[in-house]
Amino acid sequence: MLERVLVANRGEIACRILRACKEAGIETIAIHAKNDSGSLFCELADLSIQLEGEGITETYLNQKQILDIAKQYNADSIHPGFGFLSERADFAQAVIDSGLVWIGPSPDAIKNMGDKMTARISMRNADVPVIPGEEVDGGLEEVLLAAGRVGYPLLLKATAGGGGKGMRAVSDPALLESEAKSAMREAANAFGDDRIYVERLLTGSRHVEIQILADMHGRTIHLGERECSIQRRHQKVFEESPSVALDSELREAMGAAAVAAAKAVDYVGAGTVEFLLTPKDEFFFLEMNTRIQVEHPVTEMVTGVDLVREQLRIAAGEPMSCGDLMIRGHAIEVRLYAEDPANNFLPAIGKLAMFKAPQGPGIRLDTGVREGDEVTPNYDPMLAKLIVWAPSRTEALERMRRALDDFIVLGCTTNIRFLRELCDHDDVVDGWTTTDLIERLWPDGWTPEFQENVKESALLLAAAGESSGYGRKLSSNSQSSSEEITPFETLNRRFP
Amino acid sequence: MMEFKTAEGVVEITVNRKNGLFEYSGIFADLSDGASIIIDGKKHNAHLAKVGDVWWVHVLGHTIQLELIEPGANSGDEEGSLVAPMPGKILQVFVAEGERVNAGQALMVMEAMKMEHRIVASHDGIVDAVHYNVGDQVIQGAELLTLSE
Repeated sequence: MLERVLVANRGEIACRILRACKEAGIETIAIHAKNDSGSLFCELADLSIQLEGEGITETYLNQKQILDIAKQYNADSIHPGFGFLSERADFAQAVIDSGLVWIGPSPDAIKNMGDKMTARISMRNADVPVIPGEEVDGGLEEVLLAAGRVGYPLLLKATAGGGGKGMRAVSDPALLESEAKSAMREAANAFGDDRIYVERLLTGSRHVEIQILADMHGRTIHLGERECSIQRRHQKVFEESPSVALDSELREAMGAAAVAAAKAVDYVGAGTVEFLLTPKDEFFFLEMNTRIQVEHPVTEMVTGVDLVREQLRIAAGEPMSCGDLMIRGHAIEVRLYAEDPANNFLPAIGKLAMFKAPQGPGIRLDTGVREGDEVTPNYDPMLAKLIVWAPSRTEALERMRRALDDFIVLGCTTNIRFLRELCDHDDVVDGWTTTDLIERLWPDGWTPEFQENVKESALLLAAAGESSGYGRKLSSNSQSSSEEITPFETLNRRFP
Repeated sequence: MMEFKTAEGVVEITVNRKNGLFEYSGIFADLSDGASIIIDGKKHNAHLAKVGDVWWVHVLGHTIQLELIEPGANSGDEEGSLVAPMPGKILQVFVAEGERVNAGQALMVMEAMKMEHRIVASHDGIVDAVHYNVGDQVIQGAELLTLSE
């Protein structure tokens, strides 16, 4: 049994983990950079310790400082969340060497899967199918040579990669060199490692991933798939489970391959094996994410398994608590980003003057922000994950449309309208989701479709608001949100 | 009469007040208890907040920004400018002064939030000025290029 977990992360995933710990009766320590003080996740922890230094390298990536805090405040375990140090084998090792429990797989498993080329080789050895392509270890010149052998269209990928950084699709050989240089530059900036490798680009494919759980009592299971085909620049925006492309036979085949992949590296904990599924129902190993994943809630909604709670159990040496797999209904997640989809999806910033999330049955919101918070350029622009569950895919889409219409964010531009239009698109409604969907539907960029009266209504409301001084009291309220709430205000909120 | 700057340029509006409601173009707005609009007798809830000079309005599933132009202020002098949406660094410049460009054409690549972003022409026009070179750091809101019609 774990007694005090240090959560080495921030934002919505820190909130997710802190809440799971609270439910399990485990004490929590959060760590936060100075520019995160007062954030929701700091509030949810029993104790939040401020990290010294500026920028993520000195703070959330500062292994020594985080370990010192863990020891000083008597944490017995560290949960890394996703991103930051979650897939750093050296950090996992340092945690273990300090006598703490690492809530994640072994450093060896992380290392094996983290280097995409090593992973390709070990998966091939475990008879898990991999994408035709070539491992490269000699810089730009060798990449250019390998590209010729792999053939076009191809995909350049960062060896240390993830999150779409250092990844480039190339269909024209004339653009290879400039794209390779750009990918290497981005990889070097993001991971401190500019190695890239070459894979065949399988167009018209789906991105389907399998969630797995493995405990230290010899049990490794899969929890079905997540269909994550709708991506923009290799960043997922819309995820669902189950996938319309899988029947039970294919699900079992992919599940078995995922379990084999996990077993090949003696995996322990929660992990995700990503596959590319071609229109001919062939599937290929893409990579394994050795951590909890952003889109884990869709699996939780359809299986009823609390993945983070299982991570805590497994790390404590207990057997996982879930029984046989049962998929029930349909779940969809969309990622709300602070970005301007009508302006090439550029990141946006601003103060959340209003942040009203949709409510109702089957709706879940995972977020690290609340009304009055400032969205800054310091961190990832993801504001929230909106997840819906319904008995069928059709009803889940209906629920998502309603939820997005009810989601009100003022003060910072978001992609809500883009997501809303996505839900209406024939290909999405029919489930014909492929990884190139967004580029295919909006080759020249996205602009909102305004129905009749929308612009006129907005103009009228702004003018009416201006001439009546509307909301002046409201905005002064939200500015004082960090101040103490009087019991009267609290009462007023609870019993309107 | 009031003027607002929107994504499509400057718009003018004159609102009528009747029985506590505001009216424009056959649409009614009611701000007496929360905010709502009435179109053809049907009520739709709305939300609005003013941040600085900008009215943020959520109505009919859309979120729209309208910047109030104070009477007497120079309107439209930022027309055609392309500003840095985020602080970052210029990685590439594709165009030179005097060059004719088409809407959607890539003009620059900048790096912000560790991702590369393309700055594209908002409309057809001629590049009047390129204000930054490769390697320059830019602050948010910096005018990167000027495009004329």
